Amino acid sequence: MTNKNLPNGTRDELGTQAETKEAIENRLFKGFRRRGFRKLTTPVLEYSDVFKPLNADNYRPYQLLDEQGEPLVLRPDLTLPVARVMSTTGVDLPVKWYYGGDVFRVKKRLSGSYNQLTQAGIEIVGYKGIKTDWECLVVALAGCQEMGIQDLTIELSHAKFVDVVIQTLDLPQPTKDSLKAALYAKDLNKYNSLCSPLANTAYSKFLAEWPWLFGDFDKAMRLVKTMPEIAELHQIIDDLTATKAFINQQFPDYKVALDLSIPSPQTYYTGMAFRGFTDKSADYLFSGGRYDDLLTNFQKVHVSAVGVAFDVDSLVERTVVQSEKPVTLIYFNQDQWQLAEAKLRELKNATLCLADNLAAAQRLATSTGSQLIDLTKSR
Amino acid sequence: MTPLKIALTKGRTEEQVIPLLEASGINCEGVKNKKRRLIFDEDPRYEIILVKGPDVLTYLNNGSVQIGIVGSDILDEQQNSQYAMLDLSVGKCRFVLASTSSFNPQQPRRKIIATKYPNITKRYFQGIGEDVEIIKIEGSVELSPLIGLADAIVDIVETGNTLRENNLHVYAKLQPVNTKLVVNRLALRQFQPQIRELITNLQQADADYAKSNLIKG
Repeated sequence: MTNKNLPNGTRDELGTQAETKEAIENRLFKGFRRRGFRKLTTPVLEYSDVFKPLNADNYRPYQLLDEQGEPLVLRPDLTLPVARVMSTTGVDLPVKWYYGGDVFRVKKRLSGSYNQLTQAGIEIVGYKGIKTDWECLVVALAGCQEMGIQDLTIELSHAKFVDVVIQTLDLPQPTKDSLKAALYAKDLNKYNSLCSPLANTAYSKFLAEWPWLFGDFDKAMRLVKTMPEIAELHQIIDDLTATKAFINQQFPDYKVALDLSIPSPQTYYTGMAFRGFTDKSADYLFSGGRYDDLLTNFQKVHVSAVGVAFDVDSLVERTVVQSEKPVTLIYFNQDQWQLAEAKLRELKNATLCLADNLAAAQRLATSTGSQLIDLTKSR
Repeated sequence: MTPLKIALTKGRTEEQVIPLLEASGINCEGVKNKKRRLIFDEDPRYEIILVKGPDVLTYLNNGSVQIGIVGSDILDEQQNSQYAMLDLSVGKCRFVLASTSSFNPQQPRRKIIATKYPNITKRYFQGIGEDVEIIKIEGSVELSPLIGLADAIVDIVETGNTLRENNLHVYAKLQPVNTKLVVNRLALRQFQPQIRELITNLQQADADYAKSNLIKG
């Protein structure tokens, strides 16, 4: 074999790192099952059409062809496969699924980013009301609590807020589109110049602060109230406010922030969206929201859906890895297997030493700093 | 308080931006007398690191720094996904299509274009509905039409002196280039008050700089 290297953006996970990931996944799965979620496993390979609704910039997939020349991808996302299952199998609604697995996204070469990411999440399909959003939040926040995460901020946003406000502004449509793009990109120079025709209107106070409309929940809401009343915002504001109160009551230790200046995470999002991060995390720990348009890519029927996914790699990164304790080696003769097994069951951190002679077993124990139990002496 | 980490493009950008940072109240003594150091923490609120332009986004995307100061040429070429929040008045120049006087842009054939910026070049020609062959050159791009490697070049021009000295002419003006302040998306949420303070101060310093330049001009 001449090429023994890993492909770009991939990695091996050895020992403690792999075990920590497994333990985190298992704890999350246990939590999902305890709340009555059922497991849904989908293949790593899918037809590329399944992922058409994704924003292609951030979800560039690995592509290949099937035996008939149809384009396949390694799944870049785990939510759309759930939508595919729902629209093709006639599963009865409502339903609560949980899933776990790896997604593959091609990132910039040699940039230190990984292309294979592990996620674990849930999807609730077929329930309409806000209780569904809250169930997802409880799953996410209870999961964080279970991981011992203390300094968590939950950021709430809404897929429709920006569009509703922009539509009410007295600007020509092309300016509205440019304003939205500048707001999303937080391009302050462009944003300010596009807003200038509205400088002395009832919107001016709000518009001046809009790119900064994230963080403190109450402060952001106070600013929203400086605008003339927009009927379509009532439900959005009520849902966000009620959700904040719900989180404060259920998880008083966690901070709730608001962001009313960001785009919808994907085109199929229709309602509240939420993400969690800590002061030190380099990435969001979880993200999710309501996407009642999720299934419209696959079928004509409109079905309510809310989901949330954990970035398991981020959870692993912030878990303090315990230094590895040396194991106890149990050395035994071939005919002492039962005795060795009994010893193995009795000790907590032990393993069978399969060396052929005592000298080799002693060398191994010395080199690894392990304690050696020699069962051959007890004969 | 955790200091904000800023990746500043070393070289010309660094020289142009330091006066603005100083006018914003940031102690830049270390950067000005840097010797061989690469990390500067004279101002306890900031940790400034000096890196090459294309590396600014690598540090920023990995969350190793919260802020980057870099030319829009590099952001456009690398298709930046972070927040380019502020245009600074320094480092203004423009992309152009240039070549020798014998170059005929209307000639109906697949042209060969040399550039340090293949993505920007590709997007420009796609935009005008033309397919070209692009050759990536790392430096002294002006040479390539002169010695017959390419039909024309796409490059950044500040004063136009280098083009003139090499008898090259501008055939099309592409997008302008300036220096930008870029913020990591998550860091903006984690460091909101600190980043807002920096941006507000820089906006003021930049407006003053632009005004004084206008008066001088």
